This record gives sequence, structure tokens and C-alpha cells, in this order.
Amino acid sequence: MNRLQANLCLLCVTLCWSAEIVLYNCIPSGVPAFATTCATSLGGALLTWAAFPRRFAATLREGGRGLLLGGMVVAALNAAYNTLYLHGAKSFDVASGAFTACMTVVVLPVVLLSMRRRIPPGTWLSVALVFAGILLALGPSLRAAQAPGLAVMGAGCLLRALCIVLLADLAKKHDPVAVAILMEGFAGLFSLAGWLVEDPRFVAGLPASRMLAAAWAVYAYFIVAFAETLNVFAMRRVTAADATVVYSLEIVFSIAWGMLLPAGIVERFALTPAIVLGAALVVAGSIAEIADPGGGRKEAEA
Amino acid sequence: MKRGAFLRFAGLLAVYLVVALPFKAMNLIPGFSDIRPVTAVGMFYGVFFGPLGCLASACGNLAADAFDDAIRWTSIAGFAANFLGPLLLWAYWTRVSRTPFALRRPGEMLRHSLAVAAAALLETALIAPAVAIVYPEVDAVLFAWSVFGNTAVFPVILGIPFTILLQEELGFRPCTGPRQDPGAR
Repeated sequence: MNRLQANLCLLCVTLCWSAEIVLYNCIPSGVPAFATTCATSLGGALLTWAAFPRRFAATLREGGRGLLLGGMVVAALNAAYNTLYLHGAKSFDVASGAFTACMTVVVLPVVLLSMRRRIPPGTWLSVALVFAGILLALGPSLRAAQAPGLAVMGAGCLLRALCIVLLADLAKKHDPVAVAILMEGFAGLFSLAGWLVEDPRFVAGLPASRMLAAAWAVYAYFIVAFAETLNVFAMRRVTAADATVVYSLEIVFSIAWGMLLPAGIVERFALTPAIVLGAALVVAGSIAEIADPGGGRKEAEA
Repeated sequence: MKRGAFLRFAGLLAVYLVVALPFKAMNLIPGFSDIRPVTAVGMFYGVFFGPLGCLASACGNLAADAFDDAIRWTSIAGFAANFLGPLLLWAYWTRVSRTPFALRRPGEMLRHSLAVAAAALLETALIAPAVAIVYPEVDAVLFAWSVFGNTAVFPVILGIPFTILLQEELGFRPCTGPRQDPGAR
């Protein structure tokens, strides 16, 4: 996989993640969110493992405790930043919430610098463009009352940045299939604990629904097994900063869904010039990152 | 059909059904009942498994319709389309292209996307007129767009990354014949 292919794969992963909202809409109301995460994460891990049982066992033997611990930490960070996003986003409307979540692009270089890692100059250009887009879209609508929400989102972005850096390191060091299985498996186990706390009736509390089974199945093989495995493989070929810039395109997909999908599935919002310009700058930043006009990031090539 | 080919066919059919059936139970987007990301699998089968994969795609589509209690006269056109569309893609990469199948450069991705669009056009040309003749009450133009959209968009936006993953990282080899890829034989 070369750098262009890896970036395209990350773009596909971002599209899949942004489509989660459509699948969530198919899950009957009353089903705990932890139940969905648990069933789909464990299901996705099982599917990936079923395809590569020997490869997983060999990598686990080779990677040992370090790999297990890495998978657990990445899954825990993933769960933590998702929870923070969920709470922080309550202070914002859909568009502002999505732009705020994109702040990871700005936080990540700081995290990398604090870890004394090198960042290619081209990435700084992309980060600057994306940051300008976020400021343009958020600036006019931000109010003082939203400061606590912004702080929570900021903490979420920090954890997400850490998660991306650790995942990129793990993917480069170990077999991505094993990393993906461990990450999905631990995410499922963490959610299992949350599910049992939230609803002690466990499986008995779920509705007998064909739609629920279908939505969970699609979520497990599409969002978890396919997108997550693709993500870890792509992370092996790009830098963490590259990946974060491509992830920021989720805002564009979210805006597209907000315009295309019926109001029952997504919360519709007014498309203001600030949002359009902000999204355009995010796209420009991502194109600059994917196209690599200066050719200065060849070290990430396969 | 030899035992090995039969087992491979059965495996491909099973994977196709695992991907297709959950979508039959869901109405993903109200008002747009016919969303079929599984078309990405059909095109992939064409390039990587040749005519056997095309047959698995056609039978898989038919079986999925049967599970959904949606077997009609137009299913014959659907069967032909789901066989010939992926076959056209395979034929392009086997008989027309002078280079081996790969998705490493923008030009190769563009050529593949155009071949997918041609295959989607063929499938639309087979299915839409059949539906328009058998069911005159159906909006044929809207239906044709729905078929074209499903068969052209998913194999590109999902199929290309999926193919990159399998070919570049997991060692799958395309079934594009000795002329393009002698190492595969």
C-alpha cells in the first residue's frame, strides 16, 4: 500500500464512520448504546479473527504483553474520547459540534512535539488550513456559555490525538490484523461492563427484532471489521498527523448527510456561508496532505 | 464443476449472502428502499475470481432476492446483469488492458472507475427496460438511476479501498490471465 492508497483508505474509513448515524437510526429505541458497542465490537473482532486465526495467534505470541497492553490502552482511549465527545457535543448544534471535534488536527501536532517527534512542513500547511476552516465555521457562533462544552471537547480531542499516535505506533510495530482484533475485542469487553451496569437484565432486556439483528450485523462487519482493519493497515503507511488531517474530512461528510438525509435520521441545520467556507478550507487542507505537492513526506511510503 | 471450484463458488456465495442479507431486513433510508452496497462485492468477485466469481455474484443476488420473497420475472434480467456486469470488468482487465490489474496510481484508479461505470451502465441497460416492460407503473427513469447509482458508486467508494486492502496487504491475486500477470499462474 503506497501513501496515496493509504490516504484513500483513510478517506473510506472516514466515510464509513460518518455513515454510522444512518445505521444507528435502524436500531430500535431503548437499546442501550453500550449494548450496540459491545455486540458490534465483539462481533467485528470475531469476524476478523475467523478470517486470520493463525496470523493472530502468531502475532500475539510474538508481540506478547506489550501488544496486549497496547491494544487495551488504545481501546480504553477510544472509549474515553467517544464518551467525552458525546457529553461535550451537547453544548453545540450538529455543525458546530462536528467542527469542534475536528480540533484533534490542531491538538495532535502539539502532542507529537511534546513527544519530540518530527512533523513534515507540508503537514503544518494542512493543519493551518484545517484550523482556519474550524475557526471560520465556529467563530461567529461561539458563546461564553459554551466554554465548559468546549473544554470537554478539547479534552476529548487530546485523548483522541494520543489514541491516534499510539495506534499508528502499534500498527507500524505489529501485524495490523492482530492490532485491529485486539482493539475491537477490548472495546467490546469495556462496553460489556458498561452494558451490565446500565441494564442488569443484559440480553433479556433487548427487543426481539429482525431490524436490530440486521443493523448490528452490518455495523459489525462494515464499520468495525472492515473500516477498523482498513484503518489500522492504512495507519501503517502514513504518519499520525496525515491520518488526522484526512479524518477531519468527516465534517464534510456530516454536512453532506445533513443536507441529503431525511430529518428523521439526522438533525438538519442551516448551511451558512461560514460553514461552507470552513468546510472548503478543511477540504483544501486534506487535499494538500493527500496530494503532497512538495513530495516531502516520502519517508511514509511503503 | 470440479470439487475445488465448487467449494470456492460455495464460499463466495456464502460471503455474498452474509453481506447482502442484513440490508434486506433494513430500510436504511426511508423512501430509498433499494440501497445495495453488496454491488461492491460483485465487482470485486469479477476481477479476483473471474467467471466463477461472476456466477457467484449472479446466484448470490438471486438467492438474496429469494430470501426477501422478491423473485419475479425480472429476476432473470437481474441474474444476467449481475453476471455480465462483473464479467465486463474482468474482460476489460483481461482482454483490453495492456497492464496488470493494479490500483496503485491515480490513472489506474480512474481506468478502473470508468470500467466499473461501463459495467454499471450494462447492468442498468439489462435490468431497467425489463422492469419498465413488466411493471409499467414503476418510474423507469428513477429506477434506472437507482440501479446505476448502486452499481457504479459502491464498487468505487467502498470497492477500491477494499481491493487495495486485499491485493496490497493480504496477498489476494487478481484473476486477470497470464498475459497481464504471469506470476499469478
